[in-house]
Amino acid sequence: MSGIPLNIDWQQILLHLFNFVILFAILYFLLYKPVKNFMAKREEYYKAIDKQAQAKLDEAELIKVNYNNKLTEAEEEIRLRKEKVRLDLEKATAKKLRDAEEEAVRIMDKAKRDAQLECQKIINGAQTEISAMVATATEKLALEATASEAFDQFLEATERGSEDE
Amino acid sequence: MEKRAKKLTALVFGIALSLILIGIIIIESNGNFELTIKEVMRDQVLHDLHQVSVFGIKAVNPGLISGFVVTAMILILSLIIRFAVIPKFTIVPGKVQLVLEQAVNTFDNMAKANSEKINGFLGAYIFAAGTYIFLGTLFELFGFQAVTTTGHIVTLSAPLSDINGAIMMGCLSYLVIMSGGVAGNGMKGIVRTLKEYSLPISMSFRLFGALLSGALVTELVYYYRNLSFVLPVLVGVMFTLLHAVIQAYVLAMLTSLFYGEVAEYAPKGHGTEEAA
Repeated sequence: MSGIPLNIDWQQILLHLFNFVILFAILYFLLYKPVKNFMAKREEYYKAIDKQAQAKLDEAELIKVNYNNKLTEAEEEIRLRKEKVRLDLEKATAKKLRDAEEEAVRIMDKAKRDAQLECQKIINGAQTEISAMVATATEKLALEATASEAFDQFLEATERGSEDE
Repeated sequence: MEKRAKKLTALVFGIALSLILIGIIIIESNGNFELTIKEVMRDQVLHDLHQVSVFGIKAVNPGLISGFVVTAMILILSLIIRFAVIPKFTIVPGKVQLVLEQAVNTFDNMAKANSEKINGFLGAYIFAAGTYIFLGTLFELFGFQAVTTTGHIVTLSAPLSDINGAIMMGCLSYLVIMSGGVAGNGMKGIVRTLKEYSLPISMSFRLFGALLSGALVTELVYYYRNLSFVLPVLVGVMFTLLHAVIQAYVLAMLTSLFYGEVAEYAPKGHGTEEAA
């Protein structure tokens, strides 16, 4: 028994300390550290998985953005082509219309010219025929009948000639 | 049929209990208590009557023997866990793995929450201290016995119900707190720790008082035969299981709180203001 109250014994305190230090080392090296290491490894594992998932998500997002850009570009191209086709169509239509109008004018002119020529030709023909008839009739009258008769015949012949025309 | 079986079981159980009680009353206890209750309780505090010899070298308090036994048990348990359980750890934890991880995480998170910058050693220390207090307190439930230097048989109590063990734990915790102060603030950390000069005494005697009160009540209950029925169940739960959890938590929490306080960076002039 020492003189310290409550039977406090420094040697026993140090023995308790020795015991606890051993216990601390045991618990640290056999339990605390391995369990913490395992939990850290698992955390790393999940972080790696998370990182991979994030990378894939980013990649997917990039693909989506590219796809949307391409879609927008394609829509723009389609719009431009449509516009070009519409303009070409309008131009072709206008050209066709103009050609048709020109063709119509040309046909009309040609028809007019042909009609005038035909008319002239008929008139010329009629005049020639009348002249020939007049000559024939005159010749007949002069040769075969009297003057009056010839005159009557001339008149008749003229009338007939007029009717024939 | 089931009701009949239940009734039969209850009847057998009742008869067995009655026979035990009758036996206890009929059989005379030797009644040869060498020590009065006063001497028993005084010995629980001072350990001046019953001491145990360590390999014939020195007579020590039974609490120290308890400490050695607890350490040996923890060593065996740790070896089994280290080489049989931990290698089988899986990413998705099983029940045993969950308990171990939860135990480590509880103390590690406590250290991180109270000392954000320096907490590596603190986590390991409060884990060891918490485990020692918890398992050391539960140890008295097993009723291990030892032969004293006078040839008597005593039941080994919790290691920290011995004043020497409690002083060791309180002072060591104080030194750990001081090491945190040195790691965080150098010499200023020592000064900041020394301001809490009452801490080792309060921590030591808190542990000693809490665990000794449990030991005294248990001793009191088991001293009298009439109190040895039903009551020990409540006493065991109240003064052993609750103390085991509460004292482990309190010491770990106090150590990490003060550690964080002295280890945190003190800007210039802060110490002067505090001193003023």
